[in-house]
Amino acid sequence: MEAAFSRITMTAASAMLLLALVVLWRRHAGAYITAFRTQSIALAVTGAVVASYGGASELFFVSFMILVVKGWIVPSVLSGMDAKRQSARELRPLLNTETSLLVSGALAVAAYEISRPLAEVMNLPTRGGLPIALALVFVSLFIVVSRREVIAQIVGFLMLENGIALLALLGAYGVPLIVELGVFLDVLLGVLVMQAVVYQIHDTSAD
Amino acid sequence: MDPLMTDALVIAAQTAFLIVIAPAVVGYVRLIKARLQGRRGATIIQPYRELRKTFRKGMVIAESASWIFHVAPFAIVGATTAAASLAPVVSTVQPADLVGDLFVLAALLMLGTFFLALGGLDPGTAFGGMGSSREMTVAALTEPTIAIAVLTLALTTGSTSLGAITGTVLKTPAYAIGPGHALAFAAFLIALIAETGRLPVDNPSTHLELTMIHEAMILEYSGPYLALIEWAAAVRLTLLLTLAANLFLPWGMATSLVPAALTVGLCAIVVKLAILGLLLALLETRVAKLRLFRVPELLALSFTLALLGAASSFFTK
Amino acid sequence: MDLMVVLALLTPPFAAGVLALGVRRAPARVAWLNVLTMPISLVAAGAIAVRLATGGTPVVVGEVWRIDALSALLAVLIASVATLAVALGPGTAREEHSQAAEIRTFRIYVNLFAFTMLVAVSTVNLGLMWVAIEATTVTSALLIPLHRTKASVDASWKYLLIGSVGIALAFTGTVLAYVDVAATGVDINVALHWTALREAATALHPQVARLAFVFLLVGFGTKAGLAPTHTWLPDAHSEAPSPLSAMMSGVLLAVALYAVARWKVIVDVAVGSVFTDSLLIVVGLATLAVGSLSLLSQTHFKRLLAFSSIEHMGLACFGLALGPLGTFAALLHLTGHALAKSTTFLLSGRVLHRFGSGTISATRGLLATAPKTAVLIAAGMFALGGLPPFGLFLSEILIVKAGWAAGHPLLTTAVLILLLIAFGSLLVQLHRMLFGEPPTGIAQGERASGAVLLLSVPVVLLAWLGLSIPAPLQMLLSKAVMVIRP
Repeated sequence: MEAAFSRITMTAASAMLLLALVVLWRRHAGAYITAFRTQSIALAVTGAVVASYGGASELFFVSFMILVVKGWIVPSVLSGMDAKRQSARELRPLLNTETSLLVSGALAVAAYEISRPLAEVMNLPTRGGLPIALALVFVSLFIVVSRREVIAQIVGFLMLENGIALLALLGAYGVPLIVELGVFLDVLLGVLVMQAVVYQIHDTSAD
Repeated sequence: MDPLMTDALVIAAQTAFLIVIAPAVVGYVRLIKARLQGRRGATIIQPYRELRKTFRKGMVIAESASWIFHVAPFAIVGATTAAASLAPVVSTVQPADLVGDLFVLAALLMLGTFFLALGGLDPGTAFGGMGSSREMTVAALTEPTIAIAVLTLALTTGSTSLGAITGTVLKTPAYAIGPGHALAFAAFLIALIAETGRLPVDNPSTHLELTMIHEAMILEYSGPYLALIEWAAAVRLTLLLTLAANLFLPWGMATSLVPAALTVGLCAIVVKLAILGLLLALLETRVAKLRLFRVPELLALSFTLALLGAASSFFTK
Repeated sequence: MDLMVVLALLTPPFAAGVLALGVRRAPARVAWLNVLTMPISLVAAGAIAVRLATGGTPVVVGEVWRIDALSALLAVLIASVATLAVALGPGTAREEHSQAAEIRTFRIYVNLFAFTMLVAVSTVNLGLMWVAIEATTVTSALLIPLHRTKASVDASWKYLLIGSVGIALAFTGTVLAYVDVAATGVDINVALHWTALREAATALHPQVARLAFVFLLVGFGTKAGLAPTHTWLPDAHSEAPSPLSAMMSGVLLAVALYAVARWKVIVDVAVGSVFTDSLLIVVGLATLAVGSLSLLSQTHFKRLLAFSSIEHMGLACFGLALGPLGTFAALLHLTGHALAKSTTFLLSGRVLHRFGSGTISATRGLLATAPKTAVLIAAGMFALGGLPPFGLFLSEILIVKAGWAAGHPLLTTAVLILLLIAFGSLLVQLHRMLFGEPPTGIAQGERASGAVLLLSVPVVLLAWLGLSIPAPLQMLLSKAVMVIRP
């Protein structure tokens, strides 16, 4: 039972990491938004699994919030932003695709190495997924740094938040509820403010 | 019976099975693709008829061809057959384990690719050279992926011998199946598509020379040489599909050389080849061929997946 | 009683922001109401500070609010700078340059910005502190492009993105520490409370604590303008409207350093102070170098001030790593910097309005054009350069002394050289601005001298600070140092 729980959470975490790779591989914004939406759904599912096995019932509420906020509201806002973007050009990042993928592979290996002492001292059954969560954090950071287009940077930032939420989920079955609510509020407000600033960028630039 | 005789018999039987069934696999994939495209399609045994016809034809050899041109088909067939003899087809008890492991198999496949590329370069035609250079680019990018996917398997099962790998995965699935395994499987599938020249990397039924990779190398070949090369390509596809099926999803394989278990194993591999062939046909019908400079992106993705899989397996010990 | 004083501290800015949000008409009246509400917070903060300086216990309300000496010091700084910014912002001047919509936007967000900063320093829950600091990014990012130009919008985006990413990294560090603490069996409802964490820190695993601190330093350091994630600062602080720049440079950077200091205490209990001290020294020195050396090539007045902020934050970070004396000096430095930087930025707003341009070469002859403003700017720049008799001179000398005492002679010499370079650059640019022929077409004489009067108060305070630190402040600073270095 515990082994199955551990495997399920690890698989879900790996799926989340692979969806981050999609942002490095594909070149148009719709794929990014879909990848983020799927990743958030995977996170919500992981939360529900941890809630049912770990007995932390407020995690059900948190998973529901993740589904609603990150799986529905935020992708809708992002799609709206993308629709307003004038040009339908392909997005060209700072590094080409092959190098980006290889760098992300190297970052994942580095994250695994860095989190080894962490996984050793934890005693929860979900500790196998901690390196994956940290790898997701690093890869998302790389996405933010290496993309030129605003929508790709925002998706990278949101995936970074997902990675940290996954870290909290797998490491300690989530952070206290009040902090969790604050994080949701921040993410939602952050995305709305980003939307506002992006519209201003479009208004003031000749693009 | 003398154990050495038994071993030799098992190896010969598995190799023969692969060699004989290979054109059927190619025909099956073509049939499914035809049906999906709304055509009736030729029967599964059509490739056998084509091979027989091609063997009977005469050869026209370019004046600028050297001994390499003549040696290449035989080298390709030899390397591919040797690789096929190492693959676990029906049972996890593999006498061939003593002869070679997964690295030897990968090297033999690479040897075949090497001679194919040489054969394409040898007559000195433009298309041949183009095909060879493209093929070597793709091969150079898939080799590390296959090596690391192999490493992932070896890490989880503790051995690089093919029979041992399949046996361990069969015995302890909970131990062996994990994200590392799944990632290595995904990476292996992408590398398979690249190595065998299927869509979206290369279209096997194209007649436009500028889009060819594999076909361009064999443009100058005719008659029996062409038949040998085509057969070797079919064996390569069947071999890689068998490896994908048996290394990653070994259920149904015989764990001993009892005739009943062997029959079950035979049926299992036929079923798995059918399923994988179906999936391959579906994929080929679904996707368009990638532009050549996008192929390294796909291969970099498969390499990253393999790397992630190896890291997962390594660090979750 | 404690509840009342915390309410008096936090509600005025929140209420003022909500009022500005709800009331669409009469922006000038809303602005003036605003000017009256902010001093309430200042008085509350002052009361708390006095209570703590004279030996009182920290102000505790429920499980959420706890204001000790360090928090009180920061709260006083935030409230003072906010009072100045609110008084001198759009909507209160006799001749108004801004439109009604801009005034309303400004009043909403500047108050919410001040509210989030006050919450960040008043809460005991480090998770809530994180939420509040993230909220500061959100509230200030909308205010930077108040005058809609391409440069300000781009600067706002850079600030928002880099700030949010940095904050996310800080959250990673928070989560790592939380994961470790939760595994030791502490009650998870208080696991993120600073006091409980400090008690439980001995049970933290050293590797995890170190990893967490690295994330926290990089994350909160991004918000504090520490190298190498300082790249948003020059753009954001120079393109923002001057009152906002004053608040961001004066106190927001200090709040981010406050967060680093809070976590430093915990990690020091877990692994000893050598690890965090070394990191802070390296980061502080790098930041100081970036700031000082960049000052040499600045041509834009507000960018000059922004890089000066980077330089000062680097110095404060360096000071925090040098034991009790260094910490005292760093806190004194943050106090002096808050006063000096906010004053200078607010004055730069006046200069910008008068001359219509922000480049130094276009703002010559300030002394002849507006003498009182010029004198105050000169005082501010002298203070920022570390000239006696202003308070920053004292704190810089103390940091150098602490550096020598802590056994880092080479590094301290480097610090000294960098400070001298900064001093020289600031003075050269000041000279260019004060003297010379004013450009044609600039109005002469002093206008709105109420603002000048208000701004001379911080300058006088700075001078007082430099001559002899007032006793209550000294006691407050000592108590604050005891929080960080028990």
